[in-house]
Order: sequence, then structure tokens, then C-alpha cells
Amino acid sequence: MAEQEVVEKAEEGVTTEEVKAELKAIKEAGKEAAKKERMYVKTLGAKREKEDAAPVFWVQRILCILGFFAMFFPEFSPSRISTELISENMSLFTSATSYGRLVEYCDRFFRKGYISKLTFILLFAGSLLLMLGVVAASVGTCASLGNRKLKKRAMRISLCGSIGVIAGLGGIILAYTQLLASSKADKIGVTFPMGIIIFGVFAVLNLLVTIIGMVKVPAPEAGDDCEMETPYKLFLMFLPFAILAFIFCYLPLYGWRYAFFNYKAGEALTADNFVGFQKFTYLFKNAATRNDLGRVIRNTLVMSGLGILTSWIPLAFAVFLTEIKNMKFRRFVQTFTTIPNFISWILVYAIAFALFSSEGLINNMALQADGTHKATMYLQNKTALTWLQMLGWGIWKGVGWSAIIYIAGISGIDRQLYEAATVDGAGRFQRIWHVTLPGLIPTYMVMLLMSVAGMLSNGLDQYLAFCNSANKSFIEVLDLYVYKLGIADGNISLSTVVGMAKSVISVALLFMANGISKAIRGENIV
Amino acid sequence: MSDIELMEKKDDELVSNVTDYESSSFEESQKKKKTKFVKVIDENGVEHLVPVKKKHAYTPGDIAFYIADYAFYIIFTLACLFPFYYLLISSISNPDAVAKGLVHFWPQVKSVADDGTVSYHLGITFQNFSGLISGASVLKAMLISVLRTILGTALMVIASAFVGYLMTKNEMWHKKFWYRFLVITMYFNAGLIPWYLNMSMLGLTNNFAAYIIPGIVAPYNIILVKTYIESIPGELEESAFMDGATHMTVFRKIIWPLSKPILATIAIFGAVGNWNSFQDSLILMDKSEGLWTLQHRLYIYLQGASDLESMAHDASAGNVLAAASDTNQRVLKYTISMVSIIPILAVYPFMQRYFEEGIMLGAVKG
Repeated sequence: MAEQEVVEKAEEGVTTEEVKAELKAIKEAGKEAAKKERMYVKTLGAKREKEDAAPVFWVQRILCILGFFAMFFPEFSPSRISTELISENMSLFTSATSYGRLVEYCDRFFRKGYISKLTFILLFAGSLLLMLGVVAASVGTCASLGNRKLKKRAMRISLCGSIGVIAGLGGIILAYTQLLASSKADKIGVTFPMGIIIFGVFAVLNLLVTIIGMVKVPAPEAGDDCEMETPYKLFLMFLPFAILAFIFCYLPLYGWRYAFFNYKAGEALTADNFVGFQKFTYLFKNAATRNDLGRVIRNTLVMSGLGILTSWIPLAFAVFLTEIKNMKFRRFVQTFTTIPNFISWILVYAIAFALFSSEGLINNMALQADGTHKATMYLQNKTALTWLQMLGWGIWKGVGWSAIIYIAGISGIDRQLYEAATVDGAGRFQRIWHVTLPGLIPTYMVMLLMSVAGMLSNGLDQYLAFCNSANKSFIEVLDLYVYKLGIADGNISLSTVVGMAKSVISVALLFMANGISKAIRGENIV
Repeated sequence: MSDIELMEKKDDELVSNVTDYESSSFEESQKKKKTKFVKVIDENGVEHLVPVKKKHAYTPGDIAFYIADYAFYIIFTLACLFPFYYLLISSISNPDAVAKGLVHFWPQVKSVADDGTVSYHLGITFQNFSGLISGASVLKAMLISVLRTILGTALMVIASAFVGYLMTKNEMWHKKFWYRFLVITMYFNAGLIPWYLNMSMLGLTNNFAAYIIPGIVAPYNIILVKTYIESIPGELEESAFMDGATHMTVFRKIIWPLSKPILATIAIFGAVGNWNSFQDSLILMDKSEGLWTLQHRLYIYLQGASDLESMAHDASAGNVLAAASDTNQRVLKYTISMVSIIPILAVYPFMQRYFEEGIMLGAVKG
């Protein structure tokens, strides 16, 4: 409000110095108010009941976070008591939830009687108990955010959790001794995993902290209910989703470590096969991969470049569609041109196959018109025409849908502008050029910048569906290359390197696009 | 043609009305535009000057423009529709007729005369669909696709609604941090291989849960719901809290019912995404064919055909080899494709509004 007044004054003809001084005064007053507010909040915080034995609980919280996430890392798994029978990719979580995967490689040993099934059932039960213990301890830790009464209960749950972890470890150690006693202990590769010590330390520390907490937290007053302050309550409601997001969006980053190891399927990542940046340099030093990479990057950039060059098509589609004033016709066109956007690329390929394969509709009709016609292999194109085909399918699938945003943009343009233009004698194309297009340019710029930012991510589905031995060298884009290298050829390390470089460059591009948008339009696009 | 005329007329009415209204005086406008006016007396006895609707004289340029414009959109719409139509008529034709390449624009069925001569004529048959149902693998794939679509979408919508609601609560402990924690995930991903290794580390390979659990937290949808909930008047919530409601009650009784439009939008997008999704099936279900989705099954069928065709091509044996081994499968592919498309075609026209709202929401997210 105050600032507005100043601006008004400025319009009334007050000198700039005066206005500046006044603005400064207003700013300082605002700062003062903010300071006061901070102080107020601080005193409020001081007034809030001080948490009993806060350091103890903070230790416990950190402990439980570490223990909880350690369950998902294979390196910390206490259940991998055999290097030969249990995959190095098994985390405690997997061992405790899937008995089938635990005994995946055990069939032969079971049949020959080298080891008893009971050993593995014991191992599974121990892992499950351990996991439940960790979960219970974590739940207890969460509940310890509440008042005294809730804290007391939390302590009890936490205690049970610690005991569960210790019992689970006991089961695993028992299974371990049974394996050691087996006649083929060396063949089984019995090891004592680090995880047992790690979780043992966790259990003991947690037990200790819990007991201290139990002693230190004074008894709740009679008649107290279990309560928790709203901020913590809301946070705990969100926590399960935060954990899910962490596991599926952040945890994969941990897989980047494969880029620095010479990983072969079935082997653990150890200091022995750590190669540092060797895989990165190998990509460029090795002639075969260098050629592959060059070709793949060329295809990626060409496909994205073509996409960017044709990005005006949806805009034109929208502009000329809105020139038609018959609403029913427009609805009809919009409805049916947007449908292709909602079918998968596999189905698009099915359609391409139905129409353009050697026995598809087109070749059939040509054959019936001319008996000597030799089928044209549209889908097995060995030339750069493949690029245009891919572009064409992309446009067929996406143009109607991308146009919707522009159609909405056009309906948001002030009608009076068109009327004024008509009065001034502007024709149809002049109206489009001088009224419609300037109204749509901001939206178009955002779309353009987004497609520049996504330049390296063409997506996998389209190229995977359309790829075959003939058009391979023109269709392989980065995403498809990573898939083929990693999943089909099993070259995990190298494909992680490529994927990692792609991710990093993509983020850099996004920031760049955002920076440009900020500089030109003063708005963020992300 | 008459359609265009009618429309042109309407268009012109609009323009002439407005220009007259805007000019400073009627006399002037009459002189300038030569628009004729008639006097009309309304029920209160007041005289009005009303412009006479003049016959529109549209230029040849306009006519040419409209013809070209209409023609383009009609052709493009047909190009979008015809492939679906072609798959449909092929899937309801006799397999032999399709294999012989007799199905072009109408479905064909086969009839065998008494003397054994075979002829093909217009008609429809559902034998392909019944053949498909008897094939266990396709039926199983359909079941998996339907299950993952329903379960995955339902859980995603509930989670998005709930987290979206929580994200409007500024009093949450470190809310800003947690919101960013979610948003960042939209702009960054570790890549395909780390994703695969992570899923395998979590035991989600060859496991139906892999279709459902990773999709529960969808940051983009959470943002959409959050933005929508912020537009609901806060007083509703406040009064509920006054009456002693908990956050859960407020969510169930107030937020959930009021945010149904946005939930419908994300549900429909989620369902289409789940139905079309095929990467996870392809990469994660390498050892359990029983868990393949319909899209994956279709991909395998199509890929087989594509390999055959390439072989034929490479051997430069024309299409003999391909024709020999691939004809019986052809109709099967068309029919599976049709089965995969039908749910989307059936749902789309009714849900189009939600789809379009969806893209607009994405645009204004900012």
C-alpha cells in the first residue's frame, strides 16, 4: 500500500530524491517489522515446552535414519553369509521380503544335500525379524516427537525394536554357523558379512539410548493424553511418501558408482575393480565405441533438431483451425486429431506395420493395381529418410495435442484487438500476423525452450518400437543406445557412464534454458 | 458450401455490429460504412436505430482460403482416424481375407460355396476376438494391464491428493524443504541403468509390485493438486478445525470431495499412462512372462514380424519368406492392437474435457 502511495506521489511530480528517501524509509520500516516478528517467534519458541532429554532423542533419530536406509543397500546387508549362493545385489530388505530370491541359486546345493533348507529358512526368518526390528525402532523414533506420554510409549516400541534386531541377528549368525559346518563350506563361499557388525552396533546403541531416554524422561502427569504438535504430526503424515520418493527418485543416483568400476555381472564392487574415470576415457579412446557414440549423438541431435525446426507446426495448426468459425467442425477436428497422442508408441508402430509393411495396406493396393509391383519396405529404410519418417510419426501423434495449448491461447486474446485491426483494414493474414502471432509468441517461446532443454532425451519407446536391423544406424538415439548397451549387451558400467553424462548435460541445458527465459521474459520455466 | 456461407454470414454480422457500435455517431457511420438502419420501436415506446443486416459479399480469396482450410483439416482428421478404422475392419474380417490383402476399406468375410469355391464379400466376423480370448497368454497380459491400471491409478490419485493437501500446510516441519525435495525429482533422473539396478536392488524385478509402488508418488500430479487445493477458500477448513476436526477428517470430508475435478484429470492421465506403459514390463520382467503387460506382448509379436521382414529383405528374397511365415500372425497382431486401443477410444470422447484441462493446468503451473 505504502509503496503504491509513493509511486502515486512520483506521478504527481515529486522529485526523485524525495521518492527515493521515502522508499528507503518504507523498506527500513519493513525490515524492522520483520525483525520484530523474528524476535516474537523466537520468544514463542522459548516459551514452548523444552523437549526432555533432547540430545538423546537426536542421537536416536540419526541412528534410526541410518539404520532404516542401511536396509536398502546391499553393501550393508547382514544376510549375505555366502558369496556363491546369495547375489551381491541382495539388500537386507530384499532378503527379508523375498524368500524366492534368497534361495535363487541354492537348488543344486539343496538337492545334493550339502546344505539344509532349514538354514535358509532360518536366515530368512532372521532377516525378517531384523527388518521388523529396525522398522519398530524407526516407528518408536517417530513417535518420540510427541509429548511425555507418547514418548514413554515410543521408548517401549523402540526397546522392542532393538530386541527384535538382536534376535534377528542371532538367527542369521545361527544360519552362518550351520553353513560353516557344512561339508562344502569353501564351495559355498561362507563369509561373515560386515552388516552383522553394523546392525549389531545399531541395536546396542539404540538399546542404550532408549534406556537412557526411559530414565531421563519424567513420568507424564496423570490424565495426559498422547499428543503431538501439529508441525511434527503433519511431517509424520508426509514421511512415508518422502521415503518412497527417496527410494525411487534419489536412491538410483547411488547406481552411478557403477560408472567408476569395471563391473561384471555376478561380481561385487570392490577396490580391485575400481577404475576411476577409465570408463569415461575408454568411450573416446576405443574406436568402436567412439564411432557408435558419434553416430548416436548425431541421430539424437538430428531428431531433436528436426523437432525444434518443426515446432511451429502445432502453432500453425491452431491458428488455421481457429480461423474456421464452425464450432462443431472444430470440436470434431480437435477430438480426433488428439487421439493419437494417447496411444502408446507400440501401437503407433502397429499402425505403421498395418499400413506400410511389405504386406500392409499400401503395398497390397499397389500390388492389386499393378500385378508386377514389388513390395516397398517402408519400415526397413536404410537411408537418412528414417529421420523424416520418425519426425512424421511424431507429428502425426503429437500435433493435435500440442495445438490445444495454442488454441486456448488464441481464445485468450482480446477480441477487440481483432475488431480494431479489421477497422483499420487488416485482412485475414494481416490479422494473424499482427494480432494472433504476437499473442502466442510467449507460449511458443516456453515450448521452444523446453524442447531445447530436453534435446538429449528423445525417449526410448518410439525408437525401440521402430528400430530394426535395416534402419539401426539412423534410428539409434542416446536413450536407445543406453538401453541396448546396458540391458541387451549387459555392459552396465559403460552404459551408466553414457547415461550419467546425459543426465548431467540435460540438467545443465535445463538451467541454461531457464536462464535464457529469465533474461528474456523475466520468468522461470522450471 | 452452404455451411461456409452460413458461417461467413455470422462472422460478418459480428464484425459489422461492433464497428457500428464503436463509431462516434450513427450518421457518420452510415456515411462511412453505408450501413442501412431501420427504426424499431421497442415495448417502452423508445425508438432505436438498428442496422440492417447486409448480405455478405465475401471475396474469392476468402472462398479459396476456406476451401483450402477445410480441406486440410478434413484430410488430416481422416489421416488420424483411418489407421484406427483400418485396424478395426481388419480385426473383424476373415483372417484369410486379410492375408490375401483383400481388406482395404470394408471388412470382408469368407464363404465357401457348395462346389468348394471360396469367395469373399462384405460382412463382419468376431472369430479373431474369440481366437484371442482362447489364447491364454494374451488374456493374461490383458488382466495384468487392467490390474496395474486400476491399482496404480487409484493409489497414485489417493497419494497425490493427500500429499497435495499436506503440501498446502505451511506449519508442517520444514515444509519448504520437503516441497523442494519432491519438485526436484521432476527435473532430474539418474538414467535407465541406475534405475534398473535400483529396482533390482529393491527386489522389484519379476514382481508385480514394480508396476504399482514406484508410481505412487507422482510429483507433477502433487503440484497440480496442491495448486488446486490452494484455490479452495480456507474458511471451509478453518471452520472444520474450529469444530475439532483432525487433518484426516478435513482431508476426507472437505478436501477430497472439493478437489474431485482435478483428481479426475490426474486419474485419467494416470490411467492412460499406466495402460500404455511398457518400458517397465520390458526391462524388469525378463524372467516372468506371466507378468507381461498387453503392450509388451504386442511389442514382442510385432518385433517377431519385423525380424522376419528384415530377414526377407536382407536375403533379397522379396517378400516370399515373410509372406509364408507371417500371414497367420498378421490378423492376430491387428486384433491385439485393437484390444489395446479400444479402452482409450472408448474413454476418450467422454473424458476429453479432463484431458484438455490437464494440459492447461500444466501450462499455468508456472
